[in-house]
Amino acid sequence: MIVKYLLAALVAGLFSGALMTAAQEARVIPLILHAEEFEGGDEEPAAPGAEARPDASHEHSALGIGAALSEVAAYLSPISVAHAHEGEHEDGGIMFGMSRFSGTLLANLVTGAGFALLLAGVSLVTGNAITVANGALWGAAGWLAVHLLPAIGLPPELPGFPAAELGDRQAWWIATVVLSAVGLYLLILKDGIAAKVAGVVLIAAPQVYGAPQPADIASNVPAVLGAEFAVAALATTLFFWIVLGLSLGFANEKIGVTRKIAAKAA
Amino acid sequence: MAASHVSSVSLSLNDRLYAGLVALLLGGFLVFGAGLANSSVLHDTAHDTRHSYGFPCH
Repeated sequence: MIVKYLLAALVAGLFSGALMTAAQEARVIPLILHAEEFEGGDEEPAAPGAEARPDASHEHSALGIGAALSEVAAYLSPISVAHAHEGEHEDGGIMFGMSRFSGTLLANLVTGAGFALLLAGVSLVTGNAITVANGALWGAAGWLAVHLLPAIGLPPELPGFPAAELGDRQAWWIATVVLSAVGLYLLILKDGIAAKVAGVVLIAAPQVYGAPQPADIASNVPAVLGAEFAVAALATTLFFWIVLGLSLGFANEKIGVTRKIAAKAA
Repeated sequence: MAASHVSSVSLSLNDRLYAGLVALLLGGFLVFGAGLANSSVLHDTAHDTRHSYGFPCH
């Protein structure tokens, strides 16, 4: 039974990760590729032909043929601008010699499976079944905890954005995700005014404490790109979590586990 | 809803907690590996995913 339940979560996660890859390719990846051209300031642009672009403030639709071709080339190439961050990684590179797209797809599948297992784990530990009827709400709660609430302190960042010390940001991010998740659980699933108040306090605590911020916020990446990217990243992750919640609910109902959890919790 | 007639096959509390903790550990491991682990190869492979999901990166 446990194995079946975990398998259902894996299937839902892989499915959502695959759909997420399509959403990213449509809305997010073009912005990342665009931002990488500004990364590193006066550095030579890594994509051949990128210097043919007229200027930094053009619109997407105004791209020349040459620039469009170089974008396609950079996108298909296994060694691309993403892996040229100044001296940060001497011996990096995409595993198994995969293309950039396959690397992203693999990472999305792994991430999708991971978030699906986390969501299923919360459902099991708290004894609240995920069904088709409430799946979108579970997904929305996951998105709030993992993306929107941490994004208040640490907005989704493009390559080339200024940022504080990586370790500090990761610690704040993990703490915020965990506190927000527990807070949302207390707020939504627990009865009683004390639980609701504790939930709000837990959600607010990391925001009041504050995320680590960079000392200098100057960046070569245009602000418009950053704004477009923040919205695109939050929108695609919301899409991912809604699909994940619904497909997890569907998979659970298929294997009949929701009735068992509900029966036990009742 | 249909709880009454399936209660005889319900998961025991221990089974449920055990499965839940296994799922949380495994899921946390996968998300950490794809999103946060400080390895150049993992970082480069998952680069676009890390940015898209808003994981703190670089």
